[in-house]
Amino acid sequence: MGFVLVVKAELVRTFIIMRRYWFRTLTGMVISYGILIMMIVGFVGQRDAIDQQVAVRLTDPEKATNWALGFIIGMFAFGIVGMFSQGLQAMAQNGQLEQLCMSPHGLVTNFLARTVVGAVSNILSSAILIWLIAKTFGGTLHADFVPTLALLALTFVNLLGFGFFVGGLVLVFKQTGRIAIMIRMALFALAIAATDKISEWPIVAQWVAHALPITDAAICLKYVLIHGQTVNGAYSSVFTHPSFYFLIANCIFSTLIGISCFRLMEDWSRSKGTLGAY
Amino acid sequence: MNREYLVELDEVTKTFHTRHFFQKDDVAQRRHFYQKRTVHAAKHVGFGIRPGEIFGLLGPNGAGKTTTVKMISGLVRPDSGAVYVDGLHVERKRLQVLRKVGVVLEGTRTSIWPLTPLENLAYYGNLKNVKGRILKQRARELLNFIGLEEKAQVQVRRLSRGEKQKLAVCIALIADPPVVLLDEPTTGLDVQSSRSIKDRIREMTRNQGKSVLVTTHDMHVAQELCGRIGIINKGELVACKPTEELLGLFSDQAFEFRVDRLPDASEFADVPGVYKVIPLLMEGDEPVLVVQVDSEPARRSKALYGTVARLRERGYTLHSISERQQTLENVFLHLTAS
Repeated sequence: MGFVLVVKAELVRTFIIMRRYWFRTLTGMVISYGILIMMIVGFVGQRDAIDQQVAVRLTDPEKATNWALGFIIGMFAFGIVGMFSQGLQAMAQNGQLEQLCMSPHGLVTNFLARTVVGAVSNILSSAILIWLIAKTFGGTLHADFVPTLALLALTFVNLLGFGFFVGGLVLVFKQTGRIAIMIRMALFALAIAATDKISEWPIVAQWVAHALPITDAAICLKYVLIHGQTVNGAYSSVFTHPSFYFLIANCIFSTLIGISCFRLMEDWSRSKGTLGAY
Repeated sequence: MNREYLVELDEVTKTFHTRHFFQKDDVAQRRHFYQKRTVHAAKHVGFGIRPGEIFGLLGPNGAGKTTTVKMISGLVRPDSGAVYVDGLHVERKRLQVLRKVGVVLEGTRTSIWPLTPLENLAYYGNLKNVKGRILKQRARELLNFIGLEEKAQVQVRRLSRGEKQKLAVCIALIADPPVVLLDEPTTGLDVQSSRSIKDRIREMTRNQGKSVLVTTHDMHVAQELCGRIGIINKGELVACKPTEELLGLFSDQAFEFRVDRLPDASEFADVPGVYKVIPLLMEGDEPVLVVQVDSEPARRSKALYGTVARLRERGYTLHSISERQQTLENVFLHLTAS
């Protein structure tokens, strides 16, 4: 019940700010779209040499859509993890974190609600961007709603666990916020680069990639949205894809570890006297 | 645990350890590769706040006032000792305690600036488990109570510092907690805003029976507002008494002798029972001899008669004698002098 109440509060707050600063919201989307178009046109669409290279790497005829989708999934990951790292730091700096810490719902519930609302608005704007990109380049996306929603939910849970882990560290070690930026960049890059070819990477790199929350999620989402769950023209459900199992395992593991770490760090932060402060 | 108190700190101790790399030691004028420093924010601090009481916590910068507030609100865990709010152990029942406590910490930072005061109260109300019609009604009532009703629909970023501080008090009160903790509530405010907040704090205790803890540097605020005052210095509670009693602590020890010309202190140093003599020129260049005497009645009388006799002996004309009025500031400086 508390969670629903906090989600409601966060939804109202987000909606009011989006509405009140509508120009900023709108220009933010236009700028994201512009950047994506420029990058796609510059790196994928026109330059033949890079085009060939990308084609080799992505092994996909709809390179632009593939690349753009990776970019948008990367942005999603970047945003979710950022809510825990940089978002937490910003809240500590402006004093709101102290109030959240003093909420009787508990910090985990508050952050969970905050991130759910952030993710919803993130998914909505990402969906608009994906649609616009697909329209611009004439690429097609396979709108398989059930697997797409299931995958998005799993990706979100996975990122949430990872975010709680990073956020917990930031609660105690304020300087890790800087490292978190690098981790977010890595997630971003991985979302773009993640393909089935991951199995050809060196074994250590493979495990590192699987351990990170975005790799398998990106592979599965690309498999559904771009390939339409087909291998060499034959239908093969994403739920039988090896990456899907990695994704589920990762979800369970990162959520358990993430929330435990966050609670532990919250406790430690209270002992150190730094909870809510920057 | 004493049932008389709504908030009780029982022998609470908190020590912070800070680590520094390549920091210069001001005393030795040397730079150390690694240094560990220990700060005692609370050393066996113990006091209680009764229902309907305003308790003031005074102390110099870094004395441990904010840490004490944070320990009561569960933001900082004490190393030893216990904090109780309405009979609940803060460490063991933290989430339940948070329903009973409203806190203003550096108030102007609390609110969300793109939102209006009403929206802020709705947001924080939900966070504190208040909802629906009750929330709307309470938000309106609080804005009326604090005098922000006309600014209810104005974005917080457009409000003055005093108005933001008032809003912070409203946010602390939105869940109608029986305990309110106010950390420096009037710092940086103009006279009107400060007066308005003080009046509201008084009303909270008189009409609503809330227990209020106020930490402040402002002696006038404490003297005017608080029924009891605790003075904390370097983590130690050096005094905790009703305000009147605290003011009376040293008042019977100093007397002012108004005379016709400025006396020489050395002429009175050997009067029995006199500790210290300070000749002063008061407003209008009026010469005054401030004499600190023994507080024991018989010795005090002897010292006063001795001083009068000495004045007559040396040819001074005595205009009046008065007991020096003690201010909280003097008491504070006396108690916190290292």
